[in-house]
Amino acid sequence: MYFIQAASTISHQPTFKNKSFSENISTLNTASELLSPDYKKYITPVMLRRMSKILRMSVACSVDCLEQTDIKSPDAIVVGTGLGCLDDTEKFLNNIISIKEGLIPPTSFIQSTHNTIAGQISLILQNHNYNMTHTQNTLSFEHALQDAFLCLDEGGENVLVGAADEHIEILDDIAEEIGYKNMQLTSGASFFIVSTKNNKNSKICVLNAASYGLFNSFSESLEDFFSASIPLLGKSKIDLGTIDLILFSTLQEKTKNEIADLFKGKSIVDYEKYSGTYFTNSAFALHLAIDILESGKNNFNGMTIDMKRILICNNLNSQNMGLILVEKVEA
Amino acid sequence: MTSLKEDLKKQIIEQLNLEDVQVSDIQDDAPLFGGGLGLDSIDALELIVLLEKHYGIKITNPEKGKDVFYSINSMAEYITSPKG
Amino acid sequence: MKIYITGLGVISAIGTNVEENYQSLQEEKTGIEKIKFLSFDSVVLAGEVKLSNDALIEKMSLKNGFYSRTSLLGIVAAKESWGKNSLNQSIRTGIISATSVGGMDKSEKYYRQVLQKETTDISFILTHDSGNTTEKIAKELGINGYINTLSTACSSSANAIMLAARLIEQNKLDRVLVGGADALTQFTIKGFHSLMIYDNEWCRPFDENRKGLNVGEGAAFLVLENEKSIEKTGNKPYCIISGWHNAADAFHQTASSPDGKGATLAMQDAMKKAKINPNEISYINAHGTGTKNNDLSESVAIKNIFKQNIPPFSSTKSFTGHTLAAAGAIEAVFSILAMNNNILFPNLNFSQSISETELLPQTKLQQVENVKNVLSNSFGFGGNNTSLIFSKI
Repeated sequence: MYFIQAASTISHQPTFKNKSFSENISTLNTASELLSPDYKKYITPVMLRRMSKILRMSVACSVDCLEQTDIKSPDAIVVGTGLGCLDDTEKFLNNIISIKEGLIPPTSFIQSTHNTIAGQISLILQNHNYNMTHTQNTLSFEHALQDAFLCLDEGGENVLVGAADEHIEILDDIAEEIGYKNMQLTSGASFFIVSTKNNKNSKICVLNAASYGLFNSFSESLEDFFSASIPLLGKSKIDLGTIDLILFSTLQEKTKNEIADLFKGKSIVDYEKYSGTYFTNSAFALHLAIDILESGKNNFNGMTIDMKRILICNNLNSQNMGLILVEKVEA
Repeated sequence: MTSLKEDLKKQIIEQLNLEDVQVSDIQDDAPLFGGGLGLDSIDALELIVLLEKHYGIKITNPEKGKDVFYSINSMAEYITSPKG
Repeated sequence: MKIYITGLGVISAIGTNVEENYQSLQEEKTGIEKIKFLSFDSVVLAGEVKLSNDALIEKMSLKNGFYSRTSLLGIVAAKESWGKNSLNQSIRTGIISATSVGGMDKSEKYYRQVLQKETTDISFILTHDSGNTTEKIAKELGINGYINTLSTACSSSANAIMLAARLIEQNKLDRVLVGGADALTQFTIKGFHSLMIYDNEWCRPFDENRKGLNVGEGAAFLVLENEKSIEKTGNKPYCIISGWHNAADAFHQTASSPDGKGATLAMQDAMKKAKINPNEISYINAHGTGTKNNDLSESVAIKNIFKQNIPPFSSTKSFTGHTLAAAGAIEAVFSILAMNNNILFPNLNFSQSISETELLPQTKLQQVENVKNVLSNSFGFGGNNTSLIFSKI
């Protein structure tokens, strides 16, 4: 079992340092913007001056996570990102194309590598432990989670794990060119501390996370996921019957229908209408799930059932399926 | 010379993205590195770019930067001194 | 449990397969020269793979789809490594690749079109993301399920190999095709120039007068298997991977700490994992990029651990250039070749030791009695340090 000791999200919703945000959360409107905290509270001006959105969000969330616990130095820092540091990548590309003669400023090149996020976090925390960055487009967060669990299985006690992606304007043009009109592309970062020990008397744990790349069928992946989850939890049975809520994302109409069929009778909510679209928005879904389970009142989306178990189904990329199972720990 | 130093300070603030720093915060003779500004080796490279962009001066060996960029004074002196 | 290496594949500036690469290493022939096949603005020395994109597509008999050069290189090496392996329900198989540029070789072109207000070719941008390159390889080989990509700059594919080993050790997978790929791009060449760490001459790893790196490109893949998998596949192992460790420097974004902290931790703990002492290391395939910073930091770390008994060490980047994310995997293949042939590869272009540390790398190709354990280092930008140990069975 992997206990959630802390969770922190910066997004287009009022999620940051706002416990029970799930109770009043509403669908994103088209003019939504990233809601940024005062970063100076979390990052020194010397570091902040170079940081793009994705770095600021990730570092602030990470610092916030640690402030929620007594942990000074996690045993590992694991990050997932789909497209990495786009703003700096674009800046450097602009420079190399427009500066024909003469020197090119190096800062944006340095800041453009995918692992700058995990690297900056380790710098701020002065952490010398395992430091990893997963970049498997829409499954990057699920892979980061699996890696974090591996670290815990190998003897670690606490892992800082999260994911982030940032929006830049050119993505809107590209999305339209590919044929996705009216997509709400957003930015977001979600970080968590997962632990083997329940030091904070945490009420929530993540049971299992898995990624199915180029998967064959929904039902095949689900079956595999549930049977893999059983021995992990010492339960005798886990199936759809024991799930209270499914949070899913998909861009395909036919998949929406498939999900509705497969999960007949269950509460199904499309989390993208809350997070907007970015590669690693399943991390937002995890925080949403945690918040729903923790709130106790369970007013999310007008539902009033007493929820115990939530399944997150990430089919944002139609070829890939990410699955995360979250549960409220028994008292 | 005074306006050169003032220009330099403005350019440095811009090139290094020192958002909260004013021209009046930078003393002419204070060390730029290892001092209050918190500049590092990446900034040293950015200053080399600055020298070339604004003053047409090329520094090809980054080690040389240590002396040139010691302070605003040393930078101004380097810019105005005749080069072989 | 033992984790076996049963497949090897590599493509680099010094050859398009394992045999060609090994031949060049033996002939002490570098692959670093002026760029010929790719049309870039800059005229620099680089470790270019001696095949154009069209030639790579033809070589792999690919239908003309949207393939970045990174994917093409990856497919070549992955196929060589995978060889006659086939998929089997009872062998849980995954693929992990690593890249830093992903499809940037194509995206640069797209971006240029956007900036210069030309008509854009959308196919150029579709292969941009790192994960896409791994998916292309997975599709070629029919692998699905666990498909992952890591991106930690220069330590990427070493980390991928480490992750593969950990997944097998923790019984999540039985067999993993693992490696990395990176193609030459204007982005990286100009990037390293902007950092003033690109040598316009041939790089000189561990030399007092080193001026920087030469970028290279390439790909390499290995097949890792557990005992259960080998019993079913009947594959013959080359060696085992006995140790690994990843540590963060947390010193500075681009510089490694002068006391070699991250590098020391990586090497030391990899040996702890392998349960071997420093005096049991037969050869170190160093990271040795030729930059002032890395080579000093790595030398200090080597001295920290090995003290007076420095094992033979060399950097093969003087042959291939710095292949960025692919380096860990390419150099893993070279380490295994060194071990299986009891041979030490030379550190080219060396003439004078670094004054602070006075270490002398292996400068000539040398046949030795027994290369039993090889330590391979990959130390990345942002202070991400990984060491792997390969051992004879």
